[in-house]
Amino acid sequence: MRSPSWIRAAKWAALLLVLAVALLFPAFESDPATVNIAVFTVMYVGLATAWNIMGGYTGYVSLGHAAFFGFGAYAFGLVLAHLGIQAGYEPFLFVPIAGVLTVVLALVIGWIALRTRAATFVIVTIAMMFMVQLLAENLVGLTGGGSGLSFPVPPWSGDFFDTPFYYAMLVMAIVSLLLSWWIRRSKFGLGLLAIRDDEDKALAVGVPAHAYKLTAFVISAGLVGMIGAVYGYYVTYIYPQYAIDPLVGISLVLMVFLGGLGTLWGPVLGAVILEPAQLWLAYNFGASLLYLVFYAAVFLVVILLLPRGIIPSVGDLLKRIAARRAVGPSDTASTSDTHAVAGVQSP
Amino acid sequence: MRKPAFLAVTGIVSLGSLTLAACGSNSSVNSGSPQAGTPITIGVSVSLTGDFSGDGKALVQGYDLWAQDENAKGGLLGHHVTMKYVDDASSTTQVVTNYQNLITQDKVALVFGPFSSLLTIPASTVTNRFGYAFPEPAGGGPSVFTRGIHSLFFVQPAPVEDNLVSFTQWVLSLPAGQRPATAAYSTEDDPFTQPQIDKAKALLEAGGVRTASYKVYPAETTDFTPLAQQVIAANADVVILGTQEPDAVAFIKAFQQQHYNPKALVETAGPDQGSDFATKVGSANTEGVMVPAGWWSSAKTPFNATFVSEFIAKYGGTPGGIASDAAEAYSVGQVVDQAAKKANSITNAALIAALHTGTYQTIQGPMAFDSVGKPSGASFLVQWQNGLTVPVYPPSAAVAQPEYPKPAFSG
Amino acid sequence: MTLILEAVVFGVLTGGVYALMASGLTLIFGVMRIINVGHGALVILGAYLSFALLRSAHIDPFLSLIVTMPAMFALGVVLQLVFIRPLKEDREALSVLVTYALALGIEGLLGFLFSDNLVQLTAWYETASFAVFGFHIAYVYVFGFALCIAILAGIFLMLYRTTFGSAVRATMLNRTAAQLVGVNVDRVSAIAFGIGVSTAAAGGVIFGMTNAFNPGSHYDLISRLLTIIVLGGLGSLRGAVIAAVGMLIIEDVTAVVISPVWASFAFFLLLVIVLVVRPQGLYGIRVRERI
Repeated sequence: MRSPSWIRAAKWAALLLVLAVALLFPAFESDPATVNIAVFTVMYVGLATAWNIMGGYTGYVSLGHAAFFGFGAYAFGLVLAHLGIQAGYEPFLFVPIAGVLTVVLALVIGWIALRTRAATFVIVTIAMMFMVQLLAENLVGLTGGGSGLSFPVPPWSGDFFDTPFYYAMLVMAIVSLLLSWWIRRSKFGLGLLAIRDDEDKALAVGVPAHAYKLTAFVISAGLVGMIGAVYGYYVTYIYPQYAIDPLVGISLVLMVFLGGLGTLWGPVLGAVILEPAQLWLAYNFGASLLYLVFYAAVFLVVILLLPRGIIPSVGDLLKRIAARRAVGPSDTASTSDTHAVAGVQSP
Repeated sequence: MRKPAFLAVTGIVSLGSLTLAACGSNSSVNSGSPQAGTPITIGVSVSLTGDFSGDGKALVQGYDLWAQDENAKGGLLGHHVTMKYVDDASSTTQVVTNYQNLITQDKVALVFGPFSSLLTIPASTVTNRFGYAFPEPAGGGPSVFTRGIHSLFFVQPAPVEDNLVSFTQWVLSLPAGQRPATAAYSTEDDPFTQPQIDKAKALLEAGGVRTASYKVYPAETTDFTPLAQQVIAANADVVILGTQEPDAVAFIKAFQQQHYNPKALVETAGPDQGSDFATKVGSANTEGVMVPAGWWSSAKTPFNATFVSEFIAKYGGTPGGIASDAAEAYSVGQVVDQAAKKANSITNAALIAALHTGTYQTIQGPMAFDSVGKPSGASFLVQWQNGLTVPVYPPSAAVAQPEYPKPAFSG
Repeated sequence: MTLILEAVVFGVLTGGVYALMASGLTLIFGVMRIINVGHGALVILGAYLSFALLRSAHIDPFLSLIVTMPAMFALGVVLQLVFIRPLKEDREALSVLVTYALALGIEGLLGFLFSDNLVQLTAWYETASFAVFGFHIAYVYVFGFALCIAILAGIFLMLYRTTFGSAVRATMLNRTAAQLVGVNVDRVSAIAFGIGVSTAAAGGVIFGMTNAFNPGSHYDLISRLLTIIVLGGLGSLRGAVIAAVGMLIIEDVTAVVISPVWASFAFFLLLVIVLVVRPQGLYGIRVRERI
């Protein structure tokens, strides 16, 4: 079902507005503390979108993407150190190398992990993440082990420091979104959605499931690795347990589920809601441990009441209203594309 | 005993939309000198939750006590001091955000350091970027100094890796007949503990003490029996452990289970935690256990007796119960106070310049800082004797003879 | 050589505890097809319940199980009714998130009540030990192991010798078919969840006697338990027991022969090797997706 032309126009306008705000943000807001929050928020927009390419489109939930994030950071730091790259703008040019190295790692991990499905796959990704973390800790000669790895520190002043990183993260987020958008509309993307709905049926109709899943996994991991590289350069010092932090892996998943699994904009919305809230609350209310209980409570309510995330739920609601207005009470609208996008198959 | 800082997941969905609006205040960094007599705020990111929260709370006690004393004297160079604490949940990402916020949003006049080298390193990059002096009480691992940050000052008598130097000097000073022939080492994989053990090992090997066993264990270890067994199997004369408090206690319990008694036992941290340590291992079992220390409650440094009595008046407890973290935090304030007087200014640039010259008196003793903020002194060897920790080496600071060999655990 | 023998003996003794905790987890998966990521937090909750009884009333940790196991059983039934049963669509993925949120909630609550400081369960006999093969074994490890064996035997008897056990096994094999032959699947699920949670309480006590723990300890624990049940084959009790003991032996021997820092790596590496050869785990059957 195609949307009416005025809706499409409104969508384009909204898109351009969001893009303009994102691009001009540092010009409006010069406070480094706010730009700092924006850097992490845009970082999570990119990460959640990249994760969604695997988790949302194929239905394979990886809780181990933190491995690629941290690996990208380490790979980048080591590349900079071995090539003797000076701090400044030049290191950004080497971010794709970190992406390529992460892709190599993801091929190995994906080849093994994708031999399993569903619950087993989730657990294997967790195990793989801990293996990468242990390697970072134990290969002391290469990574510095428990003493961490230092990046060259750019000579920019405190007031300006965050701005280049904001744009670097923004570029990564836009690249992730474009890829996600393109995949969603390609034959490849249709194959991924078929795998999510019923992998055995997809195989039966000739979808090369293994190659497709591995490709999605590798694309997703490569993007996450490049974002990790920028992160490492931004914080200037990484350490195994914080660079490969299971928290990062689970945060992505929460963001995607909150916004809408398998949708293009769900991960963006989830990241924009959750990440600033997290940073702001930790800064202002971090001292009370009860906030974890509160957080858990809110999260349980969201999952139990909005299991499909905000965008599909709201989309459904809007469609139902529109359908009622157009043809009177009818259920036909709910079989339209929002439903497929939502990623919910009958049990 | 470090765990990933999961506590940093703190989002509350419903508040998310308010957040960006709440952050959008204008700013410019506060780099000029405050007006004479105006109150100032000093910002600190501390670990109030997460793995370092025990130490973080002790830092707050030390800083608060200093601010109280300082204000009673009329303030820091006439400025009334207010401390502002924010929680980093022991997370390196949060600590970066926190110092950035403290400096640009809260416009604090000065910043003091957090707990542990892990958090100090990323934090010092941020504070340096804004030109702030960064006196810090608890980040003294070698990796803190290799970054060459000119505005950082580690306010302890000795860099962490030198902590066991006085222990090795004592071992090598023993007459040939008594001197231990072998040593067994086991250390947590941590930038605080491992450098100390590695340096001690190098010094003892150079002095002719053979290494019977050397093991590094992961920071997440919680069952220490297998590790203790490896130390025991080496059957060395002295046992040198790179521990934090929980593993320090666990090793001693495991040694008791195995009926093992080395001639000397030194642990990098844990036995310095006063009555807390004694309660956990049982007071009788503390006898003869050694630990390097920069501060102890009975130290004869200037002002220390006052510090101890004030601390107990404010927080209760006993002298033995005061964590050294609190004394280190207090020293940070003392150093800054003296530097401000010397420079007759509390601007960060003036403080940084002042701190690089001269010697500063603290309750931990005198200290001076080199160009990257590394202190040049040495730490002391302290031993549990009759339920108290007493300095035993070097002889200039010692109030008792080292007990050697260590008596058997009471079992 | 003694060291390696010692490592094997300790691997078996500590493996017993992991076998107990993992059997609860795999039972829950088998019956409900959900991954209880909160299992580690429930283990730590059990340990803290005993810690509270020890601190306030000086009750021996092992004895306190008489109180805590039934309490945790009740908690398990309630959690299943309130949080797991309402999940209809996409159960496997959503259950991960729901139980993760439960874990966070438990962690926050424990942190609020007990602080983040590491604690350990103590008893008057904690440093007592006896000598075998030239080394000492502490009694706490032996008591803990004996308790694990007793509870595991109880679970196996329940599964294979009672009518309720038949209903559980039928549900594990095929939920819909079990329902068709008159098994009350919802009731079986709630009780199985309760049993899984009460074994977590027992595991928590033994874990807390031999390990220092704090509210955040569950992350480490759950990653190991998940690895164990995948290695054993999801839903297989026998597989979980064998995988737990095998992995702990390998870990302890690696610590002696190579280094403690590689011990957990060996643990995970074994998982990868097994998955390359047998993606369904040691005792797993190939589970059809989307049940």
